[in-house]
Amino acid sequence: MTARASWWRGDLSTRRRLAISCFALAVFVGAWWIVTGPLALASPLFLPSPQEVAGTLVRMSVEPYLGSTLWGHIGASLSVVMSGWLLAGLVGLPLGIAMAWWRRLRWIVFPVFQLLRPVPPLAWIPLAIVWLGLGDAARISVVFIAALVPWLMNSMQAVYSVDALLVHAARTLGASERQILVRVVARTALPTLVAGARIALGNAWTTLIAAELLAASSGLGYIALNAARTLETGVLLVAMGIIGLLGALFSVGMRQAARALAPWSVRSGDE
Amino acid sequence: MRKASAAQRPAADGVATAAVPKMELRGLSKTFTTRNGTIEALAPCDLVIRKGEFVTVVGPSGCGKSTLMMIAAGLEAPTTGEVFVDGAPAGAAGPRRSVVFQKFALFPSETVAQNIEFGLRVAGIAKQEREARLQEQLAMMHLEQFRHAYPHELSGGMQQRVAIARALIVRPEILLMDEPFGALDAQTRSVLQEEVSRLRRVMDYTVLFITHSVEEAVYLGDRVIVMSRRPGRIKREIVVPKDAVWRGGEIESANDHADFNAARREVWELVREEIVRQ
Amino acid sequence: MNSAASHGPRRVAPALLYGTLTLAALLCAWMLATSALGLVDARVLPSPAGVLARAATLIATPFSGATLAGHALASLHRWIIGVACAIAIGIPVGVLLAWLPPVRAAVAPLFELLRFIPPFAWVPIAVLWFGASTTTQALVVFIAAFPACVINAQLGVSQVDPILPRAAKALGAGSLATLLRVVMPVAAPSAFTGVRIAVSNGWMALVGAELIVGKQGLGFLISQGQNNDSVATIFVGIIAIGVLGALIDVVLQRAQARMLPWTPPVAEGL
Repeated sequence: MTARASWWRGDLSTRRRLAISCFALAVFVGAWWIVTGPLALASPLFLPSPQEVAGTLVRMSVEPYLGSTLWGHIGASLSVVMSGWLLAGLVGLPLGIAMAWWRRLRWIVFPVFQLLRPVPPLAWIPLAIVWLGLGDAARISVVFIAALVPWLMNSMQAVYSVDALLVHAARTLGASERQILVRVVARTALPTLVAGARIALGNAWTTLIAAELLAASSGLGYIALNAARTLETGVLLVAMGIIGLLGALFSVGMRQAARALAPWSVRSGDE
Repeated sequence: MRKASAAQRPAADGVATAAVPKMELRGLSKTFTTRNGTIEALAPCDLVIRKGEFVTVVGPSGCGKSTLMMIAAGLEAPTTGEVFVDGAPAGAAGPRRSVVFQKFALFPSETVAQNIEFGLRVAGIAKQEREARLQEQLAMMHLEQFRHAYPHELSGGMQQRVAIARALIVRPEILLMDEPFGALDAQTRSVLQEEVSRLRRVMDYTVLFITHSVEEAVYLGDRVIVMSRRPGRIKREIVVPKDAVWRGGEIESANDHADFNAARREVWELVREEIVRQ
Repeated sequence: MNSAASHGPRRVAPALLYGTLTLAALLCAWMLATSALGLVDARVLPSPAGVLARAATLIATPFSGATLAGHALASLHRWIIGVACAIAIGIPVGVLLAWLPPVRAAVAPLFELLRFIPPFAWVPIAVLWFGASTTTQALVVFIAAFPACVINAQLGVSQVDPILPRAAKALGAGSLATLLRVVMPVAAPSAFTGVRIAVSNGWMALVGAELIVGKQGLGFLISQGQNNDSVATIFVGIIAIGVLGALIDVVLQRAQARMLPWTPPVAEGL
């Protein structure tokens, strides 16, 4: 968990914590197995047993389902999310920095942004479909919109939070405006910028799955929806599991990237 | 307000510099406009600093001494008046007038070595030259073993040493120091005060040093400028002999000397007048 | 407030001026492109007048089952159910997680695993279990709002200065009394912030859920607009969603200021 221990309650030692966690997980899986196996409380259509799900996972890795194997669908989802996310970064990062640095630009762009922000990215899907059709472009646009907000806002916040004193110091040492922006502001703001990238990726992933539920012919969201319609719950659970796993990997991966890029910001970040 | 008492003091290089002071602050004033009205932080001030002088400025809190320094450094624009360096308008902030801040202002993303040589890197100085000067500063400030550390790993005193090294490596014509030891604990402060005093005898920099500590101002400064409370103006100037016996020694033992105590008491009385007045 | 970015003297006027001018300019460009110069086909991008007309129609006459107000109410209804459950369950869970380390150790791994499954990924399985009904959508809202409630409540409690409960104990307070009367008020602002985030997440998730399944609601309205090739309907829906979402956040902000006046000021304004 991200939160710090409650000191006055005294946190448990790492070993005990690990033990309890493993035990809890085992209990969970065990309960799952019992409910679906011996007790047969739930119909396999509603909740398949753990073995079934595992088997489905293996099967989907080799046999195509609705067009490609599991890997093919994963690839399709990843390519769309990455395109949208990177595009949003390409636009949002420099724009956010520029908006924090130059007042006039902020005054011009920010109101437009504030107006569009309350609209959930997903709400743009129908519009995107009407304008761009059912192909990748619509999904990429919606993912772009979803990722743009964190990229932009975090970049702005990152530059805002750089202490003005550092800019003064750089000036007295002879740095030009451009040098200050690049060498001091951007570098000092790097940890926050990476945090923004991480949040953007999370948003992008969430929106992508939804977009695939609406307008796709491949990808993890797509197979999840179809599996639900055809009552292939095993496939559905596999898809959901992979979606969650990839989401977790993105988050962990970005945190590691933050640590690598900015070794001086070793404080444990918040969520 | 009085200008520095005249030309009895020979300049370090032997040539009389009474004609062109190193830095001149002419008619500087600063007024801020906030939501609650205007604040006159600085009333018109004039100050002349000659090459090789160590000028300390002391005054009650809020008297505008930091504002004075920021204007002198070129980091803020005065409402009236101008800053001159070597007789010509000083222009924007730059390495000719490098600054040491109270809060260190070290770049958190750079190591000690990178911080110190920052000014040289932005000026495009060649690697060899940079390395040579860096070594010199590291040795002078006793920082050799911390080259690769990041600022957040260092104590306050060490960070300020890095800041001083960073300011000195660019060979400034004037060194400006804004209450540099204000954020440090008492012991570290004494150590650094003594080091600055020792450095000064070796290097003979021109320094403008802002402080709220009367003892520090007298211990370090040749000329102690006392400022009035807000709106700050220069109240009086006390001259302290540059080569007094207690210079460069322990600051505690300076308290044993009559001339130090007399100067300190005089300055303190002037400051107290200002504090009591409000 | 010592930011490197250009703040300048705090004058509101120029920012307001630029903002208004920019929005006005965009509005004009929109009008020019559609009605005045007819550069863009009305079916692809309706003119502002067209959108207003459509909005008027939707307010007066039902479309796909209900008027605009009817759809909005349906959406709000589901949203409130989901959010209320998330708050009612999430905050106590969060507090418990911070207060009792064994509980935290047990629940943490499962929570972390499930947290990364986006709310929408639950839609197919929810449809499977509950059909295309209000329960499904309320569930999606619940899933979207739950994590923020838990995490912020937990954060709020665990970041209370440990000296406060110690002081309470020194004054003779029992464990439960300490929790309720000392810790929770201090943790409340953080928890409330979590509620605001949760509520907004829930609203966003709801719209998506309605797009996917449903027979009523603003999300459904938009998808119907898409099916009937009525871009103006889509625009009206989007505006309604945005306005309601913004309104909810403003109301909550005011509520927080009123109910929890000890909330420390945050550098908002972004």
